[in-house]
Amino acid sequence: MTGLYDVSHRHDDGATTIAKHPVPKGQPILEMRGLQKKYGAVEALKPANITFLSGEIHAIVGENGAGKSTLIKLLTGVIRRTSGEVFWCGDAVQLATPNEAISRGINAVHQEVVLCRHLSVAANMFLGDEINKNGLMRKRAMTDAAQAVLNDLGFNLPAAALLSDLTIGQQQLVATARAAMRGTQFLIFDEPTAYLTRQESAQLFRLIRRLQAEGVTIVYISHRMEEVFELADRVSVLRDGTHIGTRKIAETNDAELIAMMINRTIEQIYHKETLPIGATIVETRGLSGPGFTDVSLSVRAGEIVGLYGLIGAGRSEFALGLYGRQPLSAGEVHWQGNKVRIRNERDAMDLGIALAPESRRDQGLCLNLPIGLNINLPVFDRLSRGLTINRGREIENADRQIKDLKIKTPTRRVLASAMSGGNQQKIVIGKWLSHGAKLFIFDEPTVGVDVGTKAEIYRLFARLLEQGAGIILISSYLPEVYELSDRLHVFRQGKLVASHTYRSASHEEVLTQAIGV
Amino acid sequence: MSVETTTETAPVPKKGMNILFGLTLLGLLLFLWLLLGLSTTSFWTSNNISNLLRQGSMTAILAVGQTFVIITAGIDLSVGAVVGFSSVTVAWLLQQGVPLWPAMGITLLVGVAIGAFHAFGIVRMGLPAFIITLATLTSLRGIGLLVTNGSTISISNEAFTNFSRADFLGIPSLFWMVIAVAIPAYIFLHLSRWGRYLFAVGSNSEAARLSGVNVNRTIYLAYILSSTCAAFVGLLLASRIGIGNATQAEGWELQAIASSVIGGTSLFGAVGSVHGPLLGAFILATINNGANLLNVNAFVQRIITGVLIIVIVYFDQLRRRGSR
Repeated sequence: MTGLYDVSHRHDDGATTIAKHPVPKGQPILEMRGLQKKYGAVEALKPANITFLSGEIHAIVGENGAGKSTLIKLLTGVIRRTSGEVFWCGDAVQLATPNEAISRGINAVHQEVVLCRHLSVAANMFLGDEINKNGLMRKRAMTDAAQAVLNDLGFNLPAAALLSDLTIGQQQLVATARAAMRGTQFLIFDEPTAYLTRQESAQLFRLIRRLQAEGVTIVYISHRMEEVFELADRVSVLRDGTHIGTRKIAETNDAELIAMMINRTIEQIYHKETLPIGATIVETRGLSGPGFTDVSLSVRAGEIVGLYGLIGAGRSEFALGLYGRQPLSAGEVHWQGNKVRIRNERDAMDLGIALAPESRRDQGLCLNLPIGLNINLPVFDRLSRGLTINRGREIENADRQIKDLKIKTPTRRVLASAMSGGNQQKIVIGKWLSHGAKLFIFDEPTVGVDVGTKAEIYRLFARLLEQGAGIILISSYLPEVYELSDRLHVFRQGKLVASHTYRSASHEEVLTQAIGV
Repeated sequence: MSVETTTETAPVPKKGMNILFGLTLLGLLLFLWLLLGLSTTSFWTSNNISNLLRQGSMTAILAVGQTFVIITAGIDLSVGAVVGFSSVTVAWLLQQGVPLWPAMGITLLVGVAIGAFHAFGIVRMGLPAFIITLATLTSLRGIGLLVTNGSTISISNEAFTNFSRADFLGIPSLFWMVIAVAIPAYIFLHLSRWGRYLFAVGSNSEAARLSGVNVNRTIYLAYILSSTCAAFVGLLLASRIGIGNATQAEGWELQAIASSVIGGTSLFGAVGSVHGPLLGAFILATINNGANLLNVNAFVQRIITGVLIIVIVYFDQLRRRGSR
């Protein structure tokens, strides 16, 4: 029972031909027992027991950060487990490297296509497994073989074309075809339709069903409920790194799945005391820019405005637009009643906007520089007198933030990269506390942050509000935005689709609006 | 779910390490001097030391300018060509009867313009630093050869040519120029906010931008400083050899980059100092000088330089990895 197309020719290499026990349809092919992954103190996947049956389409659903990506990475050998066991066809396996996973027949098609853009479609399909003769590649033979596979799958794609000339959706199909012709027995799709057109999705679904008919086990990860109900035989729900349960698709419905995805035990969410709401700080009217259209909302002093949505829904893009990082294409920004133009980050900072961006690593911190420099970065002009920086004030400012925020470091000279996620987040926050602002935008402030630091961050929000600031809180973690926000706006596909006051809608309603069932 | 690995106990007081590395380099330099003093009779003569300081000075100034660029995670391959081009510029201006001081001022301004052009290419046209500076490297040599018609322009201004041979307090004036560049460079890089911005841009330009740093202006600053240092070296070279010649200073960009890297600058950006490249330049000059005294084949000298770069940078890598 190999895949559709047995054009693999790596039999010279003994290591890659691991005996494959055929597993009859409906019997366990891959079984996870207590599989767990920890990053430092953070448990990305709590010990999980999930069994995948041979020849089934098994959907996995969950919010952002629920542990789906961690699960894929563990099964494809990209990361190594902390503890637990995996049984493949009844044998305990390590899955320590991607090669091991592939040689056993476990493959994944990722949301972001991980292929070489500058090579042809055929070269990508044969990458790492080229047809050789006398040490030379047989390009024509590969192109012909690849074209035969593509035609047979019903994909109208030229095998000789460069991958970069195809749309993302077409590239996704190439990646799938690549996996299909490699003797794959277990194929994981990670949100494959995120970038596909309706027609491309339909092609992909046909392929998935065909692979299933050939006996391939499919794991299908998606946010889209209608796809799950259309394709899957069974569905597993993950939430906060925990496997909540597995259902047969015929015995469940959207309402039950959404209820399972939602956290009912609202632990450690610190809700601020009700503060008097003050004057409007900022108001956007029909604001549009790259990734978001026609967003109108306002933030008043003393309130938290939450933005909820799936990743890519336009929340972070809106924040970057308001902050002057991205050019705005339409709409107006009114700051404390006056119409303003924000052309760049400095304009935003000078008005009194602070942004703690989504990715600490890529946007928030200079990782290989000291903590002190990171904290002082927005305020060096204030710390300077004439040409030089006032060394005493530089040290004092950094040390004060380290002390106030309880950043766990012996000195301000330690590099930011040496800190844990929670402490790194505090450095980003410290940067803006030392600068000061009227409007604080926190984008995913508690991702990868331990529970204790989370509580500290929530207390800090309350302190900022007391001082008359307003906060925009962007989070993919529903209980967090739900409990903390005075007003909650839901984003979907770049648009603000719904607004609620504190607790005026249920979790189910909010999540349903974000997913767009 | 992006979760960082926790390595809470990694207190690396960076400053101490920097001083230690600087001292190691200084130790290496002194060790080389001691070794050469023992193995040759001519090393510790005032003539040779003056010569050594003169040789090292020009690379040292280039290396300081280069370091600003490398700290922003860029590279400036054009500095050697800028040196040659500036020697032609000043010689040509003097030949046209422009007085000495304006001629030197205009030459430095040409350096500023070249640096601004590099930054323009990087910031506005989106070209990689490697490409735009490689392009000006070859173009400037071409322009210089075109202006001089492939020959040299000799400089008859005595005041100008005497400068490089002069001493002050027993130290060659060229070495004084290193000090004259190094002190403001030190203040700029280590004591002013613009220096901090160079490091921030080299470490993570997106984070710097979101923290209100004007990234584009910082890049302009770095490349202008590098080219201006190179133009200044062009003046010193013209003074030293008494001619303007577009083919001079061939390969000096590599000497400058090597000095900077030996001095602890990371080609990945965000790591570097002013004293490091200075020491690096004089270590390279000492090796060349010593090899001359010991009658080592000039071709072998190049090999030694190459091996030395690999060894020193490799040890620096080990040190950094150890401190992680």
